[in-house]
Amino acid sequence: MWREEDLVKKNRLVAVSATLLMTATLGACGTGTNSGDSADTEVRVWLVGTDTPDEARDYLKKTFEEQNEGATLVIEEQTWDGLVDKYTTALAGSDVPDVVEVGNTQASAFTSSGYFSEITAEEFEELGGSDLLPGFVEAGDWEGKHFALPYYAGSRAVFYSPELVEDEPPATLDEYVDQAKDLYKEGKFSGHWWPGQDWYNALPFVWENGGFIAEQAADGTWEAGFSSEGGIAGLSQVQDLMLNASNAPADAQETDLQIPFCEGKIGYLSAPTWIQWSINAPEEPETEDGVPGCASTYGGDLEAFPLPGKDGGPAQVFAGGSNIALAQKSANRELAYEALKIILSDEYQTIIGKTGLIPAKVSLAGEVPQDTSIGKAGVEAAATARLTPATPKWADVEAQTVLQTHMTRLANGDDVEQVAADLDAEIESILNG
Amino acid sequence: MTLATERAAPAPPAAPPPVRLRRKTPVVPWLLLAGPVLILGVLTGYPVLRMLVMSFQEYERAQVMGLPPEWVGLDNYTKVLGDAEFWEVLGRSIVFMVVAVVLTMVFGTLIALLMMRLRKGLRLLVAVGLLLAWSMPPLSSTTIWGWIFDTEYGLVNNLLTRITGERWFGHSWLLDPIGFFTILTFVIVWGAIPFVAFTMYAGLSQIPGEVLEAAQLDGAGSFQRFRLVMLPYVRTIVTVLVVLSMIWDLKVFPQVYALQDIGGDREKTNTIGVYIYQMGMGQGHFGVASAIAFIFTAIMLLLSVYYVRRTIKEEEL
Repeated sequence: MWREEDLVKKNRLVAVSATLLMTATLGACGTGTNSGDSADTEVRVWLVGTDTPDEARDYLKKTFEEQNEGATLVIEEQTWDGLVDKYTTALAGSDVPDVVEVGNTQASAFTSSGYFSEITAEEFEELGGSDLLPGFVEAGDWEGKHFALPYYAGSRAVFYSPELVEDEPPATLDEYVDQAKDLYKEGKFSGHWWPGQDWYNALPFVWENGGFIAEQAADGTWEAGFSSEGGIAGLSQVQDLMLNASNAPADAQETDLQIPFCEGKIGYLSAPTWIQWSINAPEEPETEDGVPGCASTYGGDLEAFPLPGKDGGPAQVFAGGSNIALAQKSANRELAYEALKIILSDEYQTIIGKTGLIPAKVSLAGEVPQDTSIGKAGVEAAATARLTPATPKWADVEAQTVLQTHMTRLANGDDVEQVAADLDAEIESILNG
Repeated sequence: MTLATERAAPAPPAAPPPVRLRRKTPVVPWLLLAGPVLILGVLTGYPVLRMLVMSFQEYERAQVMGLPPEWVGLDNYTKVLGDAEFWEVLGRSIVFMVVAVVLTMVFGTLIALLMMRLRKGLRLLVAVGLLLAWSMPPLSSTTIWGWIFDTEYGLVNNLLTRITGERWFGHSWLLDPIGFFTILTFVIVWGAIPFVAFTMYAGLSQIPGEVLEAAQLDGAGSFQRFRLVMLPYVRTIVTVLVVLSMIWDLKVFPQVYALQDIGGDREKTNTIGVYIYQMGMGQGHFGVASAIAFIFTAIMLLLSVYYVRRTIKEEEL
């Protein structure tokens, strides 16, 4: 799941929205195709966080209401914090939303227990079929049936300001660690900014060193791999960066990363690509609820590269993103499906792509702007991105913030092998429980 | 209202035999009781019954969505009672509760005594201060306390850096469970004192001045007057306050939950309320969570029943 959406405030996308508002009107072409059975009803769409840009929201509402006369569409924004808890009760009640976004690693908690309405094979083909991001389709499948479909994907890249980092981007992961440590000045400047609760960024180090999160044995039991040889090697590098390259608080979450970055206190910042809209934003927010960036200083010349792998090339990073599904208890599945069709349409997904997120359809990958190092880094990193273990119980691991807790212990200087062993024990007890 | 008139009507005529009257009277209290009983039944009784039933079932997310639950007998209970984590969480909650209740009662009483000695203007000032703390929503106050102890930009680290000359920025207060519970105690006790202080003040100011004066003339010092004269007068109030505080501090939820979000190791700082929430809402194990909740309710009842009964007995002697 993403937590970083909090970083991106809607208003950050103002620049993009101006151009895209015009394209939004293109959607009007499909008017009147299926207005036959739409009664005077309302479809509620729950989107999470602020990462869906405003023009996509506007496009969805406008297009839907044009195509379905008499029906209205309402978008209600949810927060990533405590989302699993909220859906567990909200989707089982009597007043349920119709279309819901859910973190890709959370989806299985709901697909496995009947929370989402099945997407039939026919509908699946109509919505994009094999063009939909395969890893995300898989994340939304349960027992061979489709329940949740890809919404968008994202990847992490390493951001820096050439004003503060003069070195060439490193070629390998080990070089990256060395450079970050060279840049570090205790209490003043972080080579790599690592808030203690951030576990997403630890995964590439574990994977690149040959470790794994958890794998299923032939008898169905899960074995966690942070204390495997590769896992320990990876976590040791992570702790090395936390202690010898970062001034970030050991207990902090990876939110509002633009604040320390804009203070000029960070060399390398590994973050989801849409953080660019937070950093490269005006110092004076354009809207009331806006958050200041630093477009005139460190944000203006922002560059990025994909985190390098152990043997060069991009590292395997965590594939974040969201799935989208129809609630089982939706009062009006037919209309909800119409909304889903718009969300997965080429037009809507193109708007998503323009903001730097990876669209849900493979064929639209080219829509992500490639004219900056940031756009390139995002797409390159996405190519080798990986997911968390495919089991409904993984959502429980996240709900209990097991990884965050153990990462803070690493940041606090605890023994790596002990932390890894405790972490594995806890993951195994949840996955096999 | 119709009941009242009905009852009033037959009273004046003296002629009819009183038999009919006597038969009618019990209806009124029962009817009056019916309202509250109905509301309690719907809002409290049904959920408690449902929870009891669920605690004997395998109840997960799929059952929430309508899959028929399976009866598992005492499985949930044996699972909970055999789980070391449950006992750890319970022990932690009880230790925290004892510390918080003692601090709340001591400081609440001290402030009540202070208010008795203050002149009107100052007393009003204290009362307004207490009311502000009392009316602050727990989530807001916890967030503010979290900011005060923030690792990077917090007031405490800033002050400590200025006073000691050493670098305190980056020191995380919440990461260490002891630090976490110290801050939690601040938040809870700070929020609980006003109620105790006001109630104690109300109680203490009812004690007749002559009694205290007589005690003073007999040579009782101020501490003796407090212990031997004032406390016995307000003993029932103290009992009620202690029992209420115990229950509140045991089942404390939003403050712990929010502080864990700000920073802090969930595994080592869970109290029973948060633990039940995580088991149920967070992980979807509603059966097990219900079992924990039921065990917890039983423990709380035992604690308060024992305490209330003992106090009542003492009073009878």
